[in-house]
Amino acid sequence: MLEKSTKLHKKFWDIFAQQDRHKIDEFQRYMDKFAVNFNLYKDGNFIEQSLPFDVIPRIIPKKEFNKIEKGLIQRVTALNLFLEDLYTDAKIVKDGVIPKEFIESASGFLKEFVGFSPSKKVRTHINGIDLVKDSSDDEWVILEDNLRVPSGASYPLSIRDTYRKIYPDFFENLKIEPIKNYPKIITDAMEYVNTGGINVVLTPGRFNSAYYEHSYLAQEIGAQLVRAHELVVIDKKVYFKNYNGKKIRVGAIYKRLDDEFLDPKFFNPDSLIGVPGLVEAYLAGNVALLNAIGNGVSDDKGIYYFVPKMIEYYLNEKPILKNAPTYLPYFKEDMDYVMDNMEKLVIKDVAEAGGYGVLFGHSLTAIQIKDLKATIKAEPRRFIAQELIEFYDEKCYLDRKLQDRKADFRAYVVMGEEVKVWNCGLTRYALQEGNYLVNSSQGGGFKDTWVMEL
Amino acid sequence: MEQLLTANVASSMYWLGRYLQRLEGTLYEINKAYDLIIDVDRKAGTALYKKFNIDLKYVSAMDFLHKAIRGKHPANLGEMMLQARENAIISRAYIDSIAFGEIIALNNMFQTLQTKRSHIDCNDLDKALSLILIIWGAHAHRGHRRSSDYFFKLGKLVEEVDLRLRLGKEKAMTELILKEINAAIQILNPDLDIFENCPEEYIEEIPYSIVECIYATIDKLIIEE
Repeated sequence: MLEKSTKLHKKFWDIFAQQDRHKIDEFQRYMDKFAVNFNLYKDGNFIEQSLPFDVIPRIIPKKEFNKIEKGLIQRVTALNLFLEDLYTDAKIVKDGVIPKEFIESASGFLKEFVGFSPSKKVRTHINGIDLVKDSSDDEWVILEDNLRVPSGASYPLSIRDTYRKIYPDFFENLKIEPIKNYPKIITDAMEYVNTGGINVVLTPGRFNSAYYEHSYLAQEIGAQLVRAHELVVIDKKVYFKNYNGKKIRVGAIYKRLDDEFLDPKFFNPDSLIGVPGLVEAYLAGNVALLNAIGNGVSDDKGIYYFVPKMIEYYLNEKPILKNAPTYLPYFKEDMDYVMDNMEKLVIKDVAEAGGYGVLFGHSLTAIQIKDLKATIKAEPRRFIAQELIEFYDEKCYLDRKLQDRKADFRAYVVMGEEVKVWNCGLTRYALQEGNYLVNSSQGGGFKDTWVMEL
Repeated sequence: MEQLLTANVASSMYWLGRYLQRLEGTLYEINKAYDLIIDVDRKAGTALYKKFNIDLKYVSAMDFLHKAIRGKHPANLGEMMLQARENAIISRAYIDSIAFGEIIALNNMFQTLQTKRSHIDCNDLDKALSLILIIWGAHAHRGHRRSSDYFFKLGKLVEEVDLRLRLGKEKAMTELILKEINAAIQILNPDLDIFENCPEEYIEEIPYSIVECIYATIDKLIIEE
């Protein structure tokens, strides 16, 4: 279902009607030429490919975006307070808002870090919050919080420049919020927590799926792009190894790899992409890591259930943006509901991401449902169930005709001295009609997002 | 303040310069040999590739062109371009964006030419040479030169010397380029000098061995731990 067309949409379509549609091919040429890639491994082979792009932008009226912005600032503020509390006093657990065993069983909770507070007490520096717009009540709904290594911001940033070159009419005639401030927002956040030294972006390397993004962002934020062995830890301080052998102190690391690979001395000893001794330097307060180690606990889909409660607990406010109706089989009442209504629910594995571990009850066979029920009963903490949200489709220009596709919206929220929401985001659409999974790792494409006013 | 650069990026910029120069130099020589093969010297292509230690056989000028560009030998131009592209991707943050885009375009062109069905003619060589000129130009137009630019330039110059020595080109120009190489190295590290530790006879004769002196100096310039 498509959202009701607004005056803003009409303005867009009026201009679109006058444009030369053959020029749409130029977007792909740009993506190819500048290797705007999202790489994949398929059958053991490394495949470099560009992310599918659709030329019709998602349009969000400024007034509507302002509400999203407020809601996201509120949510990320609460999540940061939650993480800081959880790893220090754990009052929220002591007060019974979140069950202790629920936290302890979260795979992203790293008890070794209890008692440590990072630079300026900021943990949620760069966040990707996934939302959809519910067609039943026109409200934006939060689907997921990504507080570890959210990716994707480079794609709209790259394509916006091209859009302006190919179709300047839109930008001359419509009031579209500019988006070039994103690198500055990131730089400010890095500078705020920097413990003294240069900023770097730590990448797993050339063959990571998001290497393009790592390289692009490093360039845009003026930080060095480094692989693990280009950093060295001496006396609990991190240094950048310059080509001439000089060692330059590092004050902040925007890490683009998961915690478990970050330091072979502390986490996975087999990790070849980590920096030996980095955790020690971090715990000594000698380097800031963006995002903080241990944030994985809040990406746990089971913890997501408690975010509205966190907002009330820490901020004494009502959540501005709501969660999708979620059930925790961990609680008996919810377990009963899930067992009775599985056919209409979406079942998610709490520790998975990127669209993996998501099952739609309506598409399962009777045997699959029976098996899933047994698995959930055996491991209730491992799953959540959500009501299927009929979120709006977006118009897409695919195969030279307009078609409707499900689309979500990843908003980027950055926390430094203050919390800022970027005036854009990554709108991801499903390649197949009727498909609800829009993730890039599931083959989804992306569009630009225009925050506009009349 | 000096530009910070990892050894990996410094090395990638250097190799990017080398591969692009190797491609450009080889294309010029292929062009010349092609013209000679037509009606002057049927063996001009064989003689050229012998200098690259490759035994290249062909039956006509056009066949030479095809085999030079997509033959399975160490001087295959598609392979050369893949290497250039790889180095460009690693060091893209330091490359002019127009230059980067043209490197990708150039690689795409050579990969297409590698497919058996694609037709190759001299226009392709001209197109490729034009793209390389754009890449050099786009990179050179930046006002302020940084360390990364000098590594790129260094790679280009070293490859130029290498090719000139292989092809036995005029000595005076080679000497000039050697001085330019030394100047670039000294900008990057004033303590280094390619002539300082190089045996005297190498310099005077300019045999191929001077390239070894350059490599030894570059090993001291880019410190890989």
